[in-house]
Amino acid sequence: MKYPRGGYALPGTTLAFKTGTWRVQKPVHYHYAAPCHHACPAGEDAQAYLARVEEGDFRAAWETIVQANPMPCVTGRVCLHPCEHACNRGQFDESIAIHSVERYLGDMAVKEGWAYPVQPVPANAPRVAVIGAGPAGMSNAYHLIRAGYNVTLFDAFPLAGGTLRTGIPNYRLPDEALDAELDRIFALGIEFKPHHQLGREISLSELKEQYAAVFLAPGAMQGRNWSVGDVVPQDLHQGLDLIKQWMTVGEVPSFQSAAVVGGGNTAIDVARILKRSGTPEVHIITHNGLPGPNAIPGDVMRAIPREVEHAQQEGVQIHEHRGIRRLILRGGRVTGVEMVHMKKMPDETGRLRRVAFEGTETVLHVDQVIPAIGQVVEGEGMERLLGQADWLPVDDLFKVPGQENVWSGGDACSTGQGTVAGAIGDGRRAAEDMVAWLRGWERPELGERRIVEYAQLNLTYFNPKERAHEPILPVAERTGAREVVSGLERNQVMQESHRCFSCGNCMSCDNCWTLCPDSAVLKNPDAAREIDRYVFDYDYCKGCGLCAAECPVGFIDMVEDN
Amino acid sequence: MNNETTKTVSIEELRRKQPRFQGITSGHRACLGCGEALAARLVTEAAGPDVMIANATGCLEIFTTPWPESSWRVPWMHSLFENAGAIAAGMESAMKAQGKTTKVLSFAGDGGTFDIGFQALSGMMERGHNVLYVCYDNEAYMNTGIQRSSSTPHAARTTTSPPGRERMGKRHLKKDIVSIVAAHHIPYAATTSVAYPVDLRRKVRRAMEIEGPTFIQIHSPCPLGWGHDGAETLDVARMAVECGLYPVIELERGKLTGLLPIREPRPVSDYLKVQQRFRHLFQDHHKAREELEHLQALADYNIETFQLSGHGADDQDTSGLNEARRGGVRSA
Ligand SMILES: Cc1cc2nc3c(=O)[nH]c(=O)nc-3n(C[C@H](O)[C@H](O)[C@H](O)COP(=O)(O)OP(=O)(O)OC[C@H]3O[C@@H](n4cnc5c(N)ncnc54)[C@H](O)[C@@H]3O)c2cc1C
Ligand SMILES: Cc1ncc(C[n+]2csc(CCOP(=O)(O)OP(=O)(O)O)c2C)c(N)n1
Ligand code: SF4
Ligand code: SF4
Ligand code: SF4
Repeated sequence: MKYPRGGYALPGTTLAFKTGTWRVQKPVHYHYAAPCHHACPAGEDAQAYLARVEEGDFRAAWETIVQANPMPCVTGRVCLHPCEHACNRGQFDESIAIHSVERYLGDMAVKEGWAYPVQPVPANAPRVAVIGAGPAGMSNAYHLIRAGYNVTLFDAFPLAGGTLRTGIPNYRLPDEALDAELDRIFALGIEFKPHHQLGREISLSELKEQYAAVFLAPGAMQGRNWSVGDVVPQDLHQGLDLIKQWMTVGEVPSFQSAAVVGGGNTAIDVARILKRSGTPEVHIITHNGLPGPNAIPGDVMRAIPREVEHAQQEGVQIHEHRGIRRLILRGGRVTGVEMVHMKKMPDETGRLRRVAFEGTETVLHVDQVIPAIGQVVEGEGMERLLGQADWLPVDDLFKVPGQENVWSGGDACSTGQGTVAGAIGDGRRAAEDMVAWLRGWERPELGERRIVEYAQLNLTYFNPKERAHEPILPVAERTGAREVVSGLERNQVMQESHRCFSCGNCMSCDNCWTLCPDSAVLKNPDAAREIDRYVFDYDYCKGCGLCAAECPVGFIDMVEDN
Repeated sequence: MNNETTKTVSIEELRRKQPRFQGITSGHRACLGCGEALAARLVTEAAGPDVMIANATGCLEIFTTPWPESSWRVPWMHSLFENAGAIAAGMESAMKAQGKTTKVLSFAGDGGTFDIGFQALSGMMERGHNVLYVCYDNEAYMNTGIQRSSSTPHAARTTTSPPGRERMGKRHLKKDIVSIVAAHHIPYAATTSVAYPVDLRRKVRRAMEIEGPTFIQIHSPCPLGWGHDGAETLDVARMAVECGLYPVIELERGKLTGLLPIREPRPVSDYLKVQQRFRHLFQDHHKAREELEHLQALADYNIETFQLSGHGADDQDTSGLNEARRGGVRSA
């Protein structure tokens, strides 16, 4: 080069010297999965849609949700939201009110009449059969249509919705919310055939032949048989049947006092319905313990903790860690039950077993005992697949082993989670595998993205802020089908989006750009993708690691570079 | 998925198009994670293009101008270690004589400010020159290999204040330079830290608008001299402020007019234990314990004297000021 004369230099000429050669490690952007995303059984990326909310683009936020889950109105209300248990913010002050934001967006989409961002399916595209119009079947149909396939949906019942319609009571999930989302899915062009029961109007072998592929999602709609020492009361009502009656007729018989047996959502809802229909004294008897900080993992009631709490507020008495020893009958009718204390204890091999403690027997006077101890598949038309099993066998990608073109998901399948979000996720993932099969592709990989840990965040850049809570009806006003929990306001939803740490994904905070001592982070505001807005200039980056340390969200990793 | 970005524009073009003024560019020879390099970049960014700089000898001067190159993109001049104040005063007078309004800045390390350049600085202020003097305070003579200055904190190790049988590092106290400077009755003197870029920028803009001598002292960690990882520069700087050892204040005409409240003061040991220069204070020795307490007492004294404790959460305190926002509003 031509050296300048005397002691001067031209401006900015150190650019000729590439300090990047000093580096032994380099920063790279790595898009970790946020814990909320990882935890969602339906596969929703809460981090991504909270970011859209924060930008004020509610429609984009909703469209982000419906990439995975077509029914946010429903899940925003009834999901037990494992996302919030996993939320990193929970370790800081309180988790983000993810389900409330989800519900808000779901309700907004209904109010605004937003349509799914889905292309119409060509008439000549292959047609797939889906059995069961519960959340698993609806989700599967939706994702098949998104991928460009025609769908015919069969259900034994006159209306779609499955257990969302016949199980989950309207004071938790109003019909309008459910119908709005079902109608929107049907508007995509599903051929719906109600009153078609597998094993009666249609057979599996027909379906397998006439359709390119078959998805079985008949749920678990039949209450488990129940007896105490082979004794069954004469006037036995199954919990599930009482709920169905409530949902169709609007009321159920009232009793003096009733004991509901079980610890799941069905037990809780039966108890709450009995209360609403005028039974003054309602008990729940459950083997398991109440949810809460002292709960023993593996021995907690399966019902959603929030719903357990609401039931207790409404006067339902829960007898935890109790078993029924004996029914006290007079002329075939129940007059009481004998309960005994029970607990799950590890035996000599370390396995948990239930132990009843002698001498702790008590008698509870009731005139009704209502079993709600779980549901099984109604196997009609699927006997060959079921064999002796309670559930339809499936592999990791929901394909029924030994079947050419049959998949299953939701409560009916052997890996069913017994939740709405689980059923929706099953339907989506099965659809992915079905589409791959229909196109002759490799099966989708199960590979998982790494999750960003709480310790990877830089909490200096966040401050404690109170979480928004949804308004709840006072107990006196919880009558009939009145919805108990209502939604957040817009400003609360915005506030929740600000609270979100944006775990693992760049929030365009400018920290790296502002703080790199070597100006080796360049900003590219025009980048199409959010994750490309900041670019490392490796010609000059010395690899100090400062940007990675100061990134609030853990989007920058330092990797070896020799 | 390791998404090293897909580039649609060339990196050179992107560098030219950066939406901020770049007074210092890349390719300088500062150490990894240098606090001083960061501080100087932030100052020139906030001061903008219409400036000229007189820079004293020291790391900043050396690492930005390895002849025949320069990182500077504004007029910049170096003369000696001891005379940045005087050179700046001369530049300012020359500008004035030509009827130009270009603001003159004077940059120096703590050695060049607290010690050898102090007389030139004092004279410049006393004569009322329209100069913004910025002291990059890395608490020792770093460029010549970590010798103590009158800015080096009490009990810190440098090559000329080694801990041993007689002393636990530096025997004397850190000079309160900002008060001394403010005693010249100048319109504006302030301290700030690289850990609070928002505060730093605000103060530079403020000083730029004032006609007359102004002074900003910036706490700028030196990973090599302090003995911490370059990735921890900001964390270390932040703890210095949060523990009270480095008060962030503003003085106008000698009076305290502003301060950065500390949300929750943390113990000085948090700050000290991550730095090699204080490591001897954590040995099992009564003198070490005594000096640790001494530093805590100095921090408490600062908190009391300048009333640094915040009153509840505030968006302008040590925690509030750094809150990250989507879209980078914080950095405005
Ligand atoms: C009372 C109650 C409360 C609950 N509360 C919650 C809650 O708050 N949150 C939560 O996440 N989960 C809850 N659940 C569980 C949740 O409802 C189920 O996990 C979910 O609905 C399962 O979805 P699915 O699509 O697999 O089956 P389902 O929703 O049960 O749907 C199955 C569908 O298949 C149809 N079908 C069945 N057999 C045939 C056949 N042979 N031919 C044609 N069609 C057939 C049925 O008519 C039905 O429409 C609750 C369940 C109950 C019973
Ligand atoms: C009169 C004079 N004495 C000594 C030196 C050698 N010298 C060059 S830089 C320097 C130290 C600078 O320290 P400081 O001002 O604190 O700046 P830093 O390098 O720490 O940024 C010294 C002693 C010199 N250049 N001129
Ligand atoms: S803070 Fe936000 S991104 Fe992180 S887990 Fe919670 S909701 Fe998800
Ligand atoms: S702060 Fe700058 S120099 Fe340091 S690792 Fe990050 S990009 Fe590289
Ligand atoms: S520091 Fe901020 S701008 Fe940089 S990668 Fe992290 S979140 Fe994105």
